[in-house]
Amino acid sequence: MTRAAAAPGRRRVALTLGLWLLALAAGILLIARTHFSTDLSAFLPASPDARQQVLIEQLHSGIASRTIFIGIEGGKDAAQRASVSRAVAGAMRQSRLFDLVQNGDASDWKDTGSWVFDHRYLLSPGSTPERFTADGLRDAIVDSLSMLGTPAGNALKPLLERDPTGETQRIAESLIPASSPRSEEGVWVSRSTPRALILATTHAAGSDLDAIAQAIATVQGAFDAATRDMAEAAPKLQMTGAPVFSVQSRDQIKTEAVHLAVVGGIVMGVLLLLAFASPRALVVALLPVATGVVGGTAAVSLVFGEVHGLTMGFGSTLIGETVDYAIYYLIQARGAAVAGTGWQRWRDIHWPTVRLGLLTSVCGFAALVFSGFPGLAQLGVFSIAGLVAAALVARHVLPVLAPDGATGMGMRRQMALLAGFLVRGLPRLRWVLSALGAAALGLVLWQGGYLWRADLGAMSPVPKAMQALDAELREDIGASDGGTLIVIRGADVQATLRSTEAAGQRLEALVDTGELAGFETVTRVLPSEAAQAARIASLPDAATLRSRLAAATQGLPLPAARLEPFIAEVQAAKAQPMIRRADLQGTPLDAVVGALLFERAAGGWSTLISLHPGARFDAARLASALDGLPDVQVVNVGDELSGLYQRYLREAFMQVMLGALAVVLLLAAWLRSGRRLLAVCQPLVVAVVLTLGGMAALQVPLGILHLVGLLLIVAVGSNYALFFDQLRETGRADEDTLASLMLANLTTVVSFTLIAISDIPALSSIGRVVAPGALLALLLSAAFARTAAPGGAIRH
Amino acid sequence: MAALAMGAFSTSSAWAFDLAELMGLLAQQKSGEARFTEQRFVRGLEGPLDASGVLSFTAPDRLTRRTLSPRPETMSVEGNTLTLSRSGRTRTLALDSMPELLGMVEALRGTLSGNAQGLQRYFRSTLSGSAGGWTLDLQPVDPRLAAQVRSMRLSGRGGEVLGIDMEFIGGDRSVMIITPDRGAGAAATATPARSAP
Repeated sequence: MTRAAAAPGRRRVALTLGLWLLALAAGILLIARTHFSTDLSAFLPASPDARQQVLIEQLHSGIASRTIFIGIEGGKDAAQRASVSRAVAGAMRQSRLFDLVQNGDASDWKDTGSWVFDHRYLLSPGSTPERFTADGLRDAIVDSLSMLGTPAGNALKPLLERDPTGETQRIAESLIPASSPRSEEGVWVSRSTPRALILATTHAAGSDLDAIAQAIATVQGAFDAATRDMAEAAPKLQMTGAPVFSVQSRDQIKTEAVHLAVVGGIVMGVLLLLAFASPRALVVALLPVATGVVGGTAAVSLVFGEVHGLTMGFGSTLIGETVDYAIYYLIQARGAAVAGTGWQRWRDIHWPTVRLGLLTSVCGFAALVFSGFPGLAQLGVFSIAGLVAAALVARHVLPVLAPDGATGMGMRRQMALLAGFLVRGLPRLRWVLSALGAAALGLVLWQGGYLWRADLGAMSPVPKAMQALDAELREDIGASDGGTLIVIRGADVQATLRSTEAAGQRLEALVDTGELAGFETVTRVLPSEAAQAARIASLPDAATLRSRLAAATQGLPLPAARLEPFIAEVQAAKAQPMIRRADLQGTPLDAVVGALLFERAAGGWSTLISLHPGARFDAARLASALDGLPDVQVVNVGDELSGLYQRYLREAFMQVMLGALAVVLLLAAWLRSGRRLLAVCQPLVVAVVLTLGGMAALQVPLGILHLVGLLLIVAVGSNYALFFDQLRETGRADEDTLASLMLANLTTVVSFTLIAISDIPALSSIGRVVAPGALLALLLSAAFARTAAPGGAIRH
Repeated sequence: MAALAMGAFSTSSAWAFDLAELMGLLAQQKSGEARFTEQRFVRGLEGPLDASGVLSFTAPDRLTRRTLSPRPETMSVEGNTLTLSRSGRTRTLALDSMPELLGMVEALRGTLSGNAQGLQRYFRSTLSGSAGGWTLDLQPVDPRLAAQVRSMRLSGRGGEVLGIDMEFIGGDRSVMIITPDRGAGAAATATPARSAP
């Protein structure tokens, strides 16, 4: 072959480089205009059933996405915490960044109290025709009198002449949740920990992270100001809740993505320098990596319209895989007989194997694309596009830039020696490894379904410690997220409110029997217009009321003559306009309504009734109590979420199995030999089983992400198995190929180890499976390479 | 039996009847039922408000006040749960979410179960009289409680509380006369009295 024939033509060079640079520029341009999201919903399923849809909508954009739990823990004493709580809550209220700030301070409700008082005859379920008969009035007045002369009577007494039937009291009682936090020094405190509590709802939507970040900074600022002079004795501030997590995740994901990229880059750089001792080789090796990252990101942006931060974090593992292509090329294209033809030799001998490895990886990641979790689907698209882009660069651009691979030798001889040692030594351990594999399989089968006991929390990008603190604060505040909700749907607001009132009436019966401690419903502050109209209609005219009162107060220490203000206010109420949603704007009650009444994304309206189960709570009786109300559904949040997760776990099993099957079929089609197929699959199966066994032995609860990790072991590991297959078939175990395998494996293991130690559970679960799995895949490929050329065949 | 135990106490420290002794006596009553009549004098009303019903207590923390007249109404506390039943509606509340009420309830439960700590956490106490007839005056410690309740006075004989008077800020006042249900009460006191030192 002449040099002219071997070197790529000048025009082709220009075309290749031009196309590559153009694609790279287009990708970078696209990325520059891409929105990077970090919201937590990417790891919530996208297509749940109708019942779960409500829940997911709630988690996406409901009150849950705007609720912040704040703890003020430790410090000197309860009085100090209470004063900090008041100062922080006060500053939060003044900032206008929050719709509702509750810290147990009764003054929160002063304005609300007078609004409720003014609208009592529209709001009170007691406004019925029976109540305004002589008997009904008498019963109600006697009830009110029975409160006087007790501690509870102090609030009632000043209102007695205007509200002798105690409607305000009745509404106020219904607005106090059955499971309020403990109150000490006038503020909410934890029952188990020295901690004051604040519950806040941000004004901004949960997805508006900049506004949420500002709200969080306001809390932090107010806390810092309140504790400035406390020095050592200052309590500490704790904040959790979906909006906090979203902002923290954004920052953390940003930090981690940069951190992973930097550390990954440095480690790769060092490895490559060790291997090639050539800065030029280093730069060339990083080209497929950079192209892969740009290609992957651009593809995700094109397909999904945005890129999740976690995808970028995960992208760092792509460095480990894509750098392999460069390593294979740079090493394997060396040693050409005629200068400038190394790339041709590589193209003919090694590229088919690299290409097959690429295709198996793509098969593996393709399973992710069809995942029900948008976050995982992004990882799939990212990886496929990234790998393809990197492989294309390795195949077409690297031959132009380094036709004969890398020149330097670096530490490769030592790597090759070590690799040769492993290749010779490992097959002796075959039986030990097989026995270990059998034991691991036994352990895995014995644990069975128990092994897969992780929950949706494991998918979360929120660190475990924060999840635990969140659970504690929720428990303190009595806002457990595992409770039971009633969901009511309707075509419009009024229909929904009417159905909600019907459900509420049935629930009252359960409250009376003690099965429910209470429930919260929007119709207590926003009754349907039908209910309001009925209440107004039940109010008698002045003359009728006056004569009935005279009869009702016979013999009572409260003469009817003193109740003229009552008669006047009832008359005023008859002319009062109905309460509409808009009337509540700017009041704390608006936040209550916002939490429990919302327009559905799919059209129509929904309300939620949150339940406080009593000691005798029984889910079956609750369901039967609500029987016959077609628009009403009982949703057990914990059950639904876990059911949802189980469903996706099953789906993920199917997808992973299909992915693995695709890999096997692809290998079979390429190898066209049952013996070779078996030899390639054997180490992969054992690697997966050993990884699973290790996880089982370490008591790690496994979930969907671990499952994905197992598939990646197969996808990545098949590259190694194929190379050993190639070695067997060609009988050439040259030290450069061994060194390239070692190096490629090392980079993969390092990059997955980096994400394994990440604080983000979603990333670390994948890393913890793939890092040991990939290493095992290489070692086992060597161990099970029966006909591999022995040491003597290694060419020097 | 109760009388015997009482005698033992009064002879051991005949010269002064102190809170520890009273609490010792009260602690022997593990449970009890009593009828009560209550008169409340509320400013601005023409005449007192009368009520009557049944009180029951089961150590350590279960207390029920069942009003039979003029309108049936039940208030019961157990642990941290307060249950109110009035005019056909039942409501449950966390007792410790309302510190003022918690203070009153703890004072009563503390007294009835002979737990001085529970009592003194919320009230300053002054004891006068002897085991044969004592008066326990209570002043709220907590400023929030003090803003509502001026004073409470419990009176009794031996291990039995026979009266609770309360004075509220603003001049309202309530007087409760308690008549222990001898049948149930005697049976309940007999057993613990035997084991008393």
